[in-house]
Amino acid sequence: MRSTSTHLWLAIRLPDLPLTAIKPDVMTTPVVIADKKRVVFANQSAQHAGVKLDMDITTAQLLSGCEILERDPPQEQQALHQLSEQFYHFTPYIDRYCSPTRAQSGLLLEISSCLQLFSGVAGIVHRITECLNQTPHEFLFGLAHSAKAAWLLSFAEHAITGEETRPEFLQRLNALPIDVLFDFPAARDSLTRMGFFTLGDIARQITHKSLRSFKKRLGQEFADALAELFDIDQDFSQSALFDKPRDIYRPDEWFEEAIHFEYPITLVDQLKPAFENLLNSLGNYLRKRQQQCHTIEWHMTDIYRRQAHMTVSSDLPQSQWQLLYDLTLIQFENKELPFEVDAIRLLCQDTLPIQSRNQILDLDQSRRRKVSSSDFAVTIAKLKARLGDAAVYKLSYHDSRVPELTQVFLALAEKSCQALPDMYKHSLRPSWLLKNPELIEERHQRLYWQGYLAPLVGPERIIGDWWREPVARDYYLAKRQDNVSLWIFFNLYDKQWYVQGVFS
Amino acid sequence: MHDAAPDKPATASLEQLLLRDDMWLGHSQRFTGRTTLATGHALLDEQLLHQGWPLGTLIEVCQPGMQGEWLLLTPALLQVTGLIVLLNPPAIPFAQAFIQAGFDLDRLLVVDAAEKKHFIGCFTELARASVGAVLAWQPRENISYTELRKCLLSASDGTGLCVMFRPSAAQQQSSPARLRLFARLLTDGLEITLFKQTGYLQKQQPHPVLLPLPDHWKPAQAYAALDEKTAATPPDTAPQRLASVTPLRGQ
Repeated sequence: MRSTSTHLWLAIRLPDLPLTAIKPDVMTTPVVIADKKRVVFANQSAQHAGVKLDMDITTAQLLSGCEILERDPPQEQQALHQLSEQFYHFTPYIDRYCSPTRAQSGLLLEISSCLQLFSGVAGIVHRITECLNQTPHEFLFGLAHSAKAAWLLSFAEHAITGEETRPEFLQRLNALPIDVLFDFPAARDSLTRMGFFTLGDIARQITHKSLRSFKKRLGQEFADALAELFDIDQDFSQSALFDKPRDIYRPDEWFEEAIHFEYPITLVDQLKPAFENLLNSLGNYLRKRQQQCHTIEWHMTDIYRRQAHMTVSSDLPQSQWQLLYDLTLIQFENKELPFEVDAIRLLCQDTLPIQSRNQILDLDQSRRRKVSSSDFAVTIAKLKARLGDAAVYKLSYHDSRVPELTQVFLALAEKSCQALPDMYKHSLRPSWLLKNPELIEERHQRLYWQGYLAPLVGPERIIGDWWREPVARDYYLAKRQDNVSLWIFFNLYDKQWYVQGVFS
Repeated sequence: MHDAAPDKPATASLEQLLLRDDMWLGHSQRFTGRTTLATGHALLDEQLLHQGWPLGTLIEVCQPGMQGEWLLLTPALLQVTGLIVLLNPPAIPFAQAFIQAGFDLDRLLVVDAAEKKHFIGCFTELARASVGAVLAWQPRENISYTELRKCLLSASDGTGLCVMFRPSAAQQQSSPARLRLFARLLTDGLEITLFKQTGYLQKQQPHPVLLPLPDHWKPAQAYAALDEKTAATPPDTAPQRLASVTPLRGQ
């Protein structure tokens, strides 16, 4: 085993995270978190009532009468992210651990480089405990020489004194039952069958026979995990060169800048220089970080601390400030300032890397087209800022029998479906479709809708949607008095005539 | 000294005005270089100044309600290469009909702008963006001459086909549009009357053009007509025996 590594890992396991991520309040009634109809977490009351992990939720409910909540992994990730942001004050090396087989997750902190600052392991653990006590989560610590070992030792619940040494960590590991390797279910079952009951049995086997036998029987992945767990140098002579680098945590970063005016601003025109200045700063910020953004927010305050904000969004992500400036002016031009503005703040929280943008490699042909398409993107962004996102759309065919359900509205970036089934390729279809079919009156035993109608071509029977709202209609082309051709139908259910489209 | 010749600047500005490309000078040859797009209707092409829809300018179609917009413009729009934008359409375009007609739905964009100020703003933005075609339907409020001129100037900045559909009452109002026409549906077709073409001196009353309706809009023949057709066919000379009877012989 290796003795050169000086890393020290602190694992923080959050056993009740599936519950606290959804419901931060303390719950005394039985609660069960379910994933794919199986129990993945049960609180104390539910466990007392006999609920066990991996139990069917119906059985769990019969046993305990518990409340069943669906697991929400994004919420759990969000909670872990918030904790990571807090722990970034202690160490820059933060890893997230989420078990692939059980609802167990937590954080792994490498603290060897921060011990002096926080006066030893005990000091840093004390500070972290203070932080965690303010959160709704239950927590358990594990301290060891490697991340994986620390994670497993968090199941042993040893008190952390700060005096622990590497042999002590290994000794604690050796005492752990083999069940803690639940992330490798196949390997764990094989080892149990072979007569291994603790991690110490594995360690002894490795000392006598080396790691190769495990690699041969249980696979490379498990062997690598064991090597990391016991900190074994596998084949390299200069192991320090092949150490896995510690991942540096990147905290959330956003752009925020404000301008305070010397006198209260009442007109939008007077805000223009401030817009330009702040957006210029944003442009510099994005350029330096090779990033772009979709949305910016303007926050205005007056001397009485009243606040107003406006969101400006662009259809395509932007790394230059000019379009955002134009869009801001469009947003502001139709509105009056709510109060005399004393300060304006520009906030841009969500950015994305510029590299993900598609580049066309077709050199000669597309260069000219690319310019015009980017120009048009600007135009569309301006139209959307003026009219709202829903007012600019394109059409797509959607497979259905009912005419009004055969089309959907798409955003510009999406691809339209244009595969019309053969049966509709030669059917009589109008150019315009009314938003909702309009009822046709019967006057003097004739059909009347903005003029007398005479059905001429038809009928075409359309029947469908029997599983939802059944439709049975006979469609005709009808000519109105003023020679306009209309698409009308006779509803076979309510025996009424309706107009649905106009041929033009 | 400058006050001594007060007429000079005025003359210069008039000359400048006359040099403008959008100034109507009656039967002028200045417009011969203009690009056009064939309408796809031979009769209509004959009546138009350069045998097609003028591009990069404003075309105004006055019509009562929804008439034959697509009948009139589909052949030309199928030749357009860029985006086709429908601004403030009177109803929802029916995707099935457009696929049948051969339009690429990915190039067909709909912009809803029912308010006049938004409509004018969007029209100018779209026309300047040099999209393939802008088809705009006037909102309920009437559009003033100044606003139409704004639309015309923005259309001349671009190179696409810009058509504005206006109610039939707008025919009586003056408009700076380069081409104005009146459309109405008759029993056997769409009647188009060109009542203004800049650069084309009309010496007599405009002669309307009738664009025929598509065949599939035409009704099936009435029962009476079907009978007539049957009667008109010559009867066979030798009547065919429909069935034969073989008498049974008794024993």
